[in-house]
Amino acid sequence: MRWEERFDWQLFFSILAFVVVSCIALYSAQQSEQYNDPFVTRQLVFYGLGFIVIAVMMNFDPELYQKASVYLYIFGLLLLIALILAPSSIAPVIKGQKSWFALPGLSIQPSEFMKIFTIMMLANVISRHNVRFQGKAFTSDVVLLLKIIGVTALPLLLIMQQPDLGTSLVFIAIMAGMILISGIRWRVIVPIYSGIAVLGTTIILLALQAPQFLEKYLGVKEYHFGRIYSWLQPLKYEDSSGYQLVKAMRAIGSGQLYGKGTGEREVYMPESQTDFIFSIIGEEYGFLGSCVVLLLFFLLIYRLTFIAQRANSNFSSYVLVGIIVMITFHVFQNIGMSIQLLPITGIPLPFISYGGSSLLATLMAMGFAFAVTFHHRTYMFGDY
Amino acid sequence: MSKKEKKHLSFRLNIIFLVVFILFAVLILQLGVIQILSGESAQDQIDRTENVTTNTPVPRGEMYDRNGEIVVENDSKYSITYTPPKGVQGEDKLKLAKKLSEYIELDTKGIRLRDKKEYFFLKNPDVVKERIEDKDMENLDSGEVYQAQLAAVTEEDVDGYKGETLQVIAINKELNKAYALAPHVVKDENISEKEYSRVAEHLPSLPGINVASDWERRYPNGEVFKSYLGNISTREQGVPREKLEKFLALGYSRNDRVGTSGLEQQYEEVLRGVKEKVRHTTDRNNNVVDTEVIREGKSGKDLVLSIDIEYQKRVNEIVKEELAKAVPGNSYLENAVAVVSKPDTGEILAVSGQSVNKNPSGDEEKFTDSSHQGVYNAYLPGSVVKGATVLTGLEEGVIDPGTTIRDRPLEFPDSEDMGSYSKLGNVNDLEALQRSSNVYMYNIAMRLGDYYYKPNQPLRMDEEKANRLIRYNFHQFGLGVPTGIDFPYEATGLEGSDPTGSDVMRSAIGQYSSYTAMQLNQYVSTIANGGYRMQPRFVTSIHEPASSGKELGDIYKDFSPNVKNSLHMDEEYIERVQKGFKMVTQTPGGTASSVFNNDRYRQYDISGKTGTAETDKYLENSSGDGTRRVELTNKAFVGYAPSENPEIAFSVIVPNLDSGADVSPNYHIGARVAEAYFQLKEERAEKKEKKEKEQKNESNDNIENE
Repeated sequence: MRWEERFDWQLFFSILAFVVVSCIALYSAQQSEQYNDPFVTRQLVFYGLGFIVIAVMMNFDPELYQKASVYLYIFGLLLLIALILAPSSIAPVIKGQKSWFALPGLSIQPSEFMKIFTIMMLANVISRHNVRFQGKAFTSDVVLLLKIIGVTALPLLLIMQQPDLGTSLVFIAIMAGMILISGIRWRVIVPIYSGIAVLGTTIILLALQAPQFLEKYLGVKEYHFGRIYSWLQPLKYEDSSGYQLVKAMRAIGSGQLYGKGTGEREVYMPESQTDFIFSIIGEEYGFLGSCVVLLLFFLLIYRLTFIAQRANSNFSSYVLVGIIVMITFHVFQNIGMSIQLLPITGIPLPFISYGGSSLLATLMAMGFAFAVTFHHRTYMFGDY
Repeated sequence: MSKKEKKHLSFRLNIIFLVVFILFAVLILQLGVIQILSGESAQDQIDRTENVTTNTPVPRGEMYDRNGEIVVENDSKYSITYTPPKGVQGEDKLKLAKKLSEYIELDTKGIRLRDKKEYFFLKNPDVVKERIEDKDMENLDSGEVYQAQLAAVTEEDVDGYKGETLQVIAINKELNKAYALAPHVVKDENISEKEYSRVAEHLPSLPGINVASDWERRYPNGEVFKSYLGNISTREQGVPREKLEKFLALGYSRNDRVGTSGLEQQYEEVLRGVKEKVRHTTDRNNNVVDTEVIREGKSGKDLVLSIDIEYQKRVNEIVKEELAKAVPGNSYLENAVAVVSKPDTGEILAVSGQSVNKNPSGDEEKFTDSSHQGVYNAYLPGSVVKGATVLTGLEEGVIDPGTTIRDRPLEFPDSEDMGSYSKLGNVNDLEALQRSSNVYMYNIAMRLGDYYYKPNQPLRMDEEKANRLIRYNFHQFGLGVPTGIDFPYEATGLEGSDPTGSDVMRSAIGQYSSYTAMQLNQYVSTIANGGYRMQPRFVTSIHEPASSGKELGDIYKDFSPNVKNSLHMDEEYIERVQKGFKMVTQTPGGTASSVFNNDRYRQYDISGKTGTAETDKYLENSSGDGTRRVELTNKAFVGYAPSENPEIAFSVIVPNLDSGADVSPNYHIGARVAEAYFQLKEERAEKKEKKEKEQKNESNDNIENE
């Protein structure tokens, strides 16, 4: 087959659509911000770099990624450890977090790339496990579960101490998704998931109703719940922790059905080029514009699901599921936090938020998807 | 990959996709709620986020005397205020000024050339701009541009302004002084009823203008007690700069009028009232869309003073008259002071200080009210403190009731003799007070220092111990410590440090430490009431603002009499001194009996103690080269009446009489002050009786008529 036929045009065009959305939103963010970075230009450069990464990655067979996944995973872990050890001249503490390598001209956030490496590693572990234990037994399920948890826990712990709550949650989401897809039987999964759901709900309710209890028995300080309080009653904390939420809700809400139009924003929103980019889209393009963006994400995920469905190897499917979960979580958390569905945690909106590491990591994930399609083989005989 | 496995994977992928679908649906749903259902209210919130609060002043509390006579009241005054909306333009203000000039008149004296130029520029911006070349303006900031534009207006341009135009300029100038959303008084003096009503009528067409009633302090009794009432700052002075932070923290504005002295300052907190607080919500175009009263305004609370203003007036007259009588022959006499209180409660009934103006020119008064000296000025009081000395001796056990000491000059080697005004012979404690024996007091002082006097022996007393004991006991009476009066300032006099033995002895006869009339009053009250040092008070209660008329409102706070300390001394000892004080005035041989025991004053049963202190004054030589010392005499008197269950206690100081002066204005002031009290009491009782009788007759008449 010629390469044009093997190339995933659908995926390509949906990414192009994001380029347009991102540039428009960043252009608008540029207007009101007092930043000197030319967001749009730099974002385009990052996109350019990302497309080169995709072009390169596309050429390798997914099998190769499976083989490389261990090395990439270890490489990622080493980067995270290096981040801890690095002096603040190379790894400065920015807004209380030590998450970036600041090199001249660019800064790199290793945790962004580590998400992809961990997904690949998990996919590798799961697929190998499933080959070895064909007739699944309860014990093998537990072993697999422990493997998945272990692989995720290593980078998770390193990232939590940066501390970066948002990215940590992404890892937990990825893990949850991978456990689901790994083939572990429902009788194992359902109790675990329900247990976690009950525990989470209990903690939130306790934080609201009896914070003294948590303080006494779990050693959590009351200010740790500030995030939850300001999420549920943002107006009460308008001057402090509820500030961003109140602003974001006003911005998005006032966009109403059609939005105010490009550059017609009224609400000043700090960090609107990164974590709160959606408030710009919501305010300037209204409900319709927001829905278009959501639709783009939905189409992207639909396409990724399609690729995962027909992938030749389980490894590829697993990786794609990890990517789907990752993107979905990012989108849901990022948009959800600006419309009061979830408490505020700082994670970017994939493809759209300004930021090199995040964008390159996402496009790297897309590179793998392109590779799966590019190297897809239809078998002449039998099903697959 | 097995078919089964693939199917399995596919199923779980579908589940994940379903979850994704649900999450996206939730997002869209919530977006719908926020953007479509609550979108408008979000827009409203953005539009009306600017909140500005303003405070409207309320009338200050008034003051009444103990009988409900008004002492300080407010004269209502009309004022016209301007509260500019945010972002108001110069042209708008000019338009407003023009309209307003039809209704009110302002003084045009304050108009400067610059004001005229500004007006010209506002009227003819194009003319002015044409005069300036653009290239000159290139490097200037907006302020500098404006300066240059004003400079381009010539004096000829503005020369012709007069009459109405000047009015507009004056009003415009006032309007320009106002800060956005803060009411500024445009005119508050000499507003005629006509002006007020014309502006009130046209309010709707005068954006930002408001009419309000303001107040001005008025003193129906003129200068009487004025120096204690104190002052308040003007609107221009505003809050005292050195206390700005404190006042701002308490919610004052910079231009608020606050009490700066006296009771106005002491009771600022209750007098000031609560300003009405209004929140204006503006939209993005700075139009006020909502006005909400956050806090109702409340007038200041009223004070009821312990002062009897009618009595105060009489005491003033007495002090003036006696002072006038004493002035001839006493060239250094300048002033006199008297404090009258109720000894059982500490309430001050009257406090009068008068200064004589020896060469009044033209329409100047002969006397100046300087009543503040009651708490401000300390003098050597002389023998009036001897009651405290005797009590100290009794309490410390160096004398007993009835102890007799031979009064003749004390002789020490190498120093002057120390004696009484004459040789008094053997005196006991009562006679020592009655005849004012210095020697008796000296002996007490020496004995307090563990030394019993022997003629012509060196003074071997423990002066430190004697001084400590005297001061400790004197302080129990308020001598040498703050009285605790509810007033922003009081002097406590000078006690002197490191006294020698003879200094300590002199302090026992009031010749070493100085005290204020207020302190002396507290001291004599303590003896009069049987041993309780009462905190003197000017204010007895605070009342809520009256709902109508000049009546007092409900009590907000009542100050019950406050005992600063009570003497731990034997009641017998105090009675002993009371008896001695009675002998001073009512027995032959008592130092003041000639005045107090005469036919006129005997009826008032006054007890007391006289005092004469040698003092001196350094005066500049008329030639201007150096100073000379003049020997002078302070005359004091402390007393109370009647001797049993006293109703009043009083202290009098007449300082700086000539040495050896043979007048005793201190006795006369004291005696007449007591007399005036009882006379006034009688007059009031008669008046009341008469009134009651009339009422009775009236009602009887009514019955008969029916």
